Amino acid sequence: MELNIFHMYPDLLNLYGDIGNVTCLKKRCEWRGIKINIVDFSLGNEADINGADILFMGGGSDRGQNIVYSHFLKYKNDVSNAIEDGSVFLAICGGYQLLGESYIDANGMKIPGLGVFDYTTESEVERLIGNIIIKNKLGLNPQTIVGFENHGGRTYHDYNALGSVVVGNGNNGKDELEGMIYKNCIGTYLHGPLLPKNPHLADHIILTALKRKYDIKILDVINDDLEYAAHEKVLELYSNGKV
Amino acid sequence: MTPSILFGKITKFALNIVGMTGTALPGKVAMMINPDLLLILNSRCKRKVIITGTNGKTTTNNLINHILNSEYEDILSNLMGANMPQGVASAFLNNTKKVYDWGIFEVDEGSFPDVVKYIEPDYVVITNFFRDQLDRFGEIENTSNIVYEAIKPLNTTLILNADDPMVSNFKDLGKKNVYYGVEQTKFSSKTQRVVESRFCPICSNNLEYEYFNYGQLGRYKCNSCDFKNPDYNYRVSEIEYHDDSYHFKVDNSKGQTNDVIFRYDGIYNAYNCCAAIAFSIEAGLDMEQVVERIDNFDYKLGRMENFEFQDKIVKIVLVKNPIGLSEVIKSISNDKRKKSLLFILNDNPADGTDVSWIWDANVEAINDIDNLTSIHCSGTRANDIALRIKYSESSKNNMEINDNMEESIENVLREDVEIIYILPTYTAVFLTRDYIMGHLNHTNARIPRIKELIKSKIGT
Repeated sequence: MELNIFHMYPDLLNLYGDIGNVTCLKKRCEWRGIKINIVDFSLGNEADINGADILFMGGGSDRGQNIVYSHFLKYKNDVSNAIEDGSVFLAICGGYQLLGESYIDANGMKIPGLGVFDYTTESEVERLIGNIIIKNKLGLNPQTIVGFENHGGRTYHDYNALGSVVVGNGNNGKDELEGMIYKNCIGTYLHGPLLPKNPHLADHIILTALKRKYDIKILDVINDDLEYAAHEKVLELYSNGKV
Repeated sequence: MTPSILFGKITKFALNIVGMTGTALPGKVAMMINPDLLLILNSRCKRKVIITGTNGKTTTNNLINHILNSEYEDILSNLMGANMPQGVASAFLNNTKKVYDWGIFEVDEGSFPDVVKYIEPDYVVITNFFRDQLDRFGEIENTSNIVYEAIKPLNTTLILNADDPMVSNFKDLGKKNVYYGVEQTKFSSKTQRVVESRFCPICSNNLEYEYFNYGQLGRYKCNSCDFKNPDYNYRVSEIEYHDDSYHFKVDNSKGQTNDVIFRYDGIYNAYNCCAAIAFSIEAGLDMEQVVERIDNFDYKLGRMENFEFQDKIVKIVLVKNPIGLSEVIKSISNDKRKKSLLFILNDNPADGTDVSWIWDANVEAINDIDNLTSIHCSGTRANDIALRIKYSESSKNNMEINDNMEESIENVLREDVEIIYILPTYTAVFLTRDYIMGHLNHTNARIPRIKELIKSKIGT
C-alpha cells in the first residue's frame, strides 16, 4: 500500500509549523508499513493533481499567498474535480481561504480566490490569536480537537463546519463555528500544527484516503500516549473547565 | 529625581525584597507615570546605538558593551535582554547618572518604532530577520517593514548584515551604510531547510543561493534584477573550530586582517562578532583593541553560559525560534563528548504563546548527535517538544518527560555524562540559571513560584 501526498506550495505556504502535518501523516503511515510519496507541488514543480491521494495546503504570508493565487488559478478545475472525486484535501488558514470565492483585504480590496467553494473571507485589523479548542462534527473520538489560531480573516459560509468552538474564535469569532467540511475536504484555521496533537483526526485522514484507494476499513493501532498527553495538556491549560 | 524615576526605583526595591531581579517591571511602572522617561535617557547619553533584528541581539549587545568598556566608563545598557521600551527604561533606573558616554540598547523589532520615538540612535545595528513570535509580530515581512518605516526619519548610520536579503535591502533608505558578512567556509551548506526569504525583496522573483551560512544568510543573487549581497566593509572568513573555540579571520575594507578567537559554539556567533567589530571600529576604536576584547569575552545571563557542576559542564542556550533551535542542534552535533539534553518549552507571553515553531525547526538533526545518553523534556509544553522529538524519528529513545522544571533539572544534573545542554525558552532561562547558581552556591535552590507567576503575567 502506498499513498501520494501532494504538499502544495511548501516553499510559499509554510507558516506556523504547518509542515508538521505532513511529517505527522508520513510517520503515522510509515509506522504502519504504508509507503508514503511526498510530492512538493510548486512553481516550476507542477505535477498532475489526479495523482494525489491527499492534498495538503498550509498558510502563508500575504506575499506568498498572492504568488500562489495567480499560479494556482490554472489548476482550479483539476482541484475542483479532485475534491468532487473524493480526494482528501486538508487546507489550513491561507490554504482554506484560498479555496473560497474571494478574500477581501483590510482596505476593502477584493482578491479572487480559486472559487472551488463559494465562501468569502473578510480581513479585519484585529487578529484572532490564541489557543483554540473545538468539538468535532466528524464523529471522531475524542470529540475535542486542539490547536492554535492566528488569522486576520473572517470566513463566512453555509457548508458543514469542522467543529463548534469551545475556546477561541474559529471561522469569524461570531457564529462559534470553526472550519468547513465538504466530502473529504477539510478547511480550518487550526495551526499547532493541527495533526500531531490530534492523532484521531490524522488517522481519519489516512483512513479516508486508504478507503478510497484500497477499500481498507480499519487502521493498525499504534501507541498514541504522547500524542494524547500533548492534547490533554492543551485542554488542561486552556479549556477553562469547559470540556 | 522625577516622580517616575522615584516610583521605578521603589518598584525595583520592592522586587529585590521578594528576591526578583525585575528586568522590566520597574521600567513599566516608571513609564506609566511618565512616558517621556526615555527622552530624559536620550538626552543623557552622548552617543547611542540600537541593536535590533531577530536573533543575536543580546549577544551582540553584550559583545559591544564588553568592547566599549575598554575605552569608556559610563555606559548605559539593557544587558539583561529585556528589550521592550520598559526594559530600556529599567536599565536607566538601575543606573541613573547625569551623563553617559554611550547608550547601548537592544530593542526587539516590534518595539523599535516606540523606542526611536524617544531615543535618537547614532547607529542602528540590524542582525537578521527570522520568523519569531508570530503571535506577536505576524509575518516576517511585517516585522522588517515595521523597522524599515521607523528608520526612515532617523539621522543614523546603519550597520547591516549584508548576507540577509531582508536586511541588506535597507540600503534603499539612503542612510550611511556599513555592511558586514561571513564568507563561505567549511561550515556553509548548499541547502537549507528553513529559508525565510526565497524571494527578492525588490522584484519578488526567486533568489538564487550559492551557499547558506545560517538560515537564509548566505550568498544570494536575484535572477531577474541586480539585487545581490552588497560588498562587505567587514568580513569574516576561514572559520576553524578547535580547542573549544572558533578561530577566524576578520578584515575591513582598509585591507587590515586580524585573527579572532571566540570561545562559544555556533556559526551565528561569527555574525554577532562581525556586527560588534563593524560597529566598534566605526565608533572609533582600533582593531587590535577590539579583537583582544572578543578573545576574552564571557557570556553572561544564560544565553550560552557555561557552568562547572561537579565534574560536568552545564551549558544553557536560549532557544526561541526555528532557526535558532536548528542551529543549536547542529552545533551540539559538533560536540563529541558524552552528553544529555534538557529542553524546556514554556508558552508564557514572553516565550510566545504559540509553540508551533518547533515543527519548523530541523529537530531531525538530533539523529546526528553522537554520544547522547538521554533527552529530557520539561516546561509548560513538555509534551509538545517530546512529541516533536518523537516525530523526528529520533533513535535516541531514552526520553524523560516532566513538566516540573525543578525535577527535570535535578534529573539531568544527575546524568553520568561529561556535558549537559539545557535549551530553555525565554522565561525558563533565568529560572534555570538561578536554580543552577543556587546549586553551585549551596543555597536553597528552589525556584520561587511567585517569580514564575509574575514573569508569566508581565512578559519580559
